[in-house]
Amino acid sequence: MKPAPFAYVRPGTTEDVLAELGRDGAKVLAGGQSLVPVLAMRLGRPSTLVDINAVPELNRMSRTDGHLRVGATVRQRQVQYDDAAAAVPLLRLALPWVGHREIRSRGTVCGSIAHADPSAELPAVASCLDATMVVTSAGGAREISASEFFTGAMSTAVVPEELLTEVRFPVAADGEGFGFGEIARRHGDFALAGVAVRVRTTTAGPEARISCFGISDHPVTRDVSPQLRAALDATGAEPDGSGLGRALRDHAVAIADDVVDTGGDAHASAAYRRQLVAGLVSRHVARAYLKSVRPNREGESS
Amino acid sequence: MSLPNAYARTEADETVDVTMTVNGSEVTMSLPARVTLSDALRDHLGLTGTHVGCEHGICGMCTILVDGQASRACLLFAVQLDGAEIVTVEGLGRQDDLHPLQESFSKHHALQCGFCTPGFLMSSYDLLTHEPDVATDDLPGELSGVLCRCTGYRNIIDAVDEVANAHRAGLPGPGNCAQRTLVGRTPAGAGTSATAEDAQVAVPGHHPDEIALPSGEPTITVDVTSQLESTPEEVAGVFHDIRLLARCLPGAELTDELGDDWYRGRARIALGPVRLSFDGIAHVLEQRDDRLTLKAQGKDTGGGGAQAEIVMTATPSGTGVSLHAEARVFLTGRIASFGRSLAGDVSRRMFEDFARGMDRAAAGAEPDVGAKPPGAVAILFGALSDRARTRYRNLRQRSRDHRRRDGRRPPSRDER
Repeated sequence: MKPAPFAYVRPGTTEDVLAELGRDGAKVLAGGQSLVPVLAMRLGRPSTLVDINAVPELNRMSRTDGHLRVGATVRQRQVQYDDAAAAVPLLRLALPWVGHREIRSRGTVCGSIAHADPSAELPAVASCLDATMVVTSAGGAREISASEFFTGAMSTAVVPEELLTEVRFPVAADGEGFGFGEIARRHGDFALAGVAVRVRTTTAGPEARISCFGISDHPVTRDVSPQLRAALDATGAEPDGSGLGRALRDHAVAIADDVVDTGGDAHASAAYRRQLVAGLVSRHVARAYLKSVRPNREGESS
Repeated sequence: MSLPNAYARTEADETVDVTMTVNGSEVTMSLPARVTLSDALRDHLGLTGTHVGCEHGICGMCTILVDGQASRACLLFAVQLDGAEIVTVEGLGRQDDLHPLQESFSKHHALQCGFCTPGFLMSSYDLLTHEPDVATDDLPGELSGVLCRCTGYRNIIDAVDEVANAHRAGLPGPGNCAQRTLVGRTPAGAGTSATAEDAQVAVPGHHPDEIALPSGEPTITVDVTSQLESTPEEVAGVFHDIRLLARCLPGAELTDELGDDWYRGRARIALGPVRLSFDGIAHVLEQRDDRLTLKAQGKDTGGGGAQAEIVMTATPSGTGVSLHAEARVFLTGRIASFGRSLAGDVSRRMFEDFARGMDRAAAGAEPDVGAKPPGAVAILFGALSDRARTRYRNLRQRSRDHRRRDGRRPPSRDER
């Protein structure tokens, strides 16, 4: 055993979880796939682990009111294969990139979002879709939009006495196409850079929104509709993927200059990350656009 | 996947009780909350097939199945697994009946040092059971959760690919998950339930309701017939004197009579540098003049367990008695890693020594096997020479087969 000693409790209800979280030094244990390594390296020494896996209402996933609602202990692997989750194609595109199968079988969607690693995939998905986080404390529940939720590296708007009980992802509408890609040194490793894309094409024209990750202390979201429209003006109305990607390239370089603000590390300099972001953005915005206008064409964006 | 039950707050210096199913057997442990599943499997249950490398979720050595899905045992605290079903590499196959994945790893030489092999076996089992149609090109990515530093992965991919192609309709399940009793060792200071249970058993009148034998195939089956010079009446005398009977078994010692035909004892076995010391209990189920049936279970201080059902039958034969001993022995933990054939040879030899001791005891003499394990060296040599004889027989048989085949082989070019 490598972690420092901790008290352990596994409440059966959300109320009991919240009561335990009121104690000093208490930490939530859901899937543990990010937390346990931190404990094993003794980077964290919580006095109490509050295991939330015995609470039935936190283990639910449902589709209501145009949202996919994912409870706090729903496993990533369950979401990856559940039919209800197909309504949020971006989640399906992103989940294979989250760790490995062995990690996803325990790791939770909410846990990954609450942990808020800057290079994690799911916070970027939540940001790109502007998902709603439901955060509960003894005083009641509050809803936080993704744009307000991620405040920095492994930092969120959740305070210690609160529990992220649910994330609501908007279900994809007609005319929406998605893209997701990342570059890591090995599959399952932390991303050096990655991007999640949503393009919505209506009679008014296309709108594009990207969330980049691994390049700052939290996911960075931008509306890139003007850039996409400019590229489409250059290629004509019926571009192919590589033609549109090339047309987006110069715009993507400028976007990368804007969003990448990490100082670089031993694995990749900031300049290299900008190159990666420029390539990823042009490729996956192009693919997402094509899917938004030809929804029946099942092109994998990865 | 069922949810675990709620569990009351337990302070950092206390232990938590957890009950899970490991390779088909239900087991309850009392552990500090910070003990990972990998440590619980290895240190408390003696299941050292699950390896630990980085212990923070990167290397994949400790991959096991939780409710049928591969997970990192180092990223789970054992106390979280209440009610879960765990399968480790020990549950995947048996030495004489390997799982197709194990066969294929062997065939393709998909291991060198073998350290990552349990992880790859469990990860690929999970992959092929959930995605039986996985494409060859996707295997490197799908198996990327486990690291190997010897093979360069090529042979591992080949091994998994062959099994995938052979079992598109469904991979056979784990082949060694029959119910076994996992009597784990409890390290000093890490939980006291086993000790408390032992202490309770030592009180006369306190014993379990019954010894439940595992289902499934025993690790060893012993079937030995020995000719004794003693009369049926003399043998019956020993059958009715459990204290004397115990002294006939080399290395065995009866330490307590618990009443209601329950006994507590110790058995030591020494094989060269190997020292096993079992503490356990026995229950005599049937005690007739010509027949004795008992069940026993014990745990070895080194982290192994044994359970056995033994039936001894005495049949008059000439002027003496033919003593027939049948035993079904179930081994778990470290001792199960002995080759089954060697363990079987040793067990048979012990019963032969036991029969000799019984013959002496029946005649009113000291059984002369004592509490020390005097027969150990002889047992090992006996076992080894048995094996040498078998091997010699096999060799002779093989060379005969060869000659026979030679006679049938088509003429070579020179002969034509």
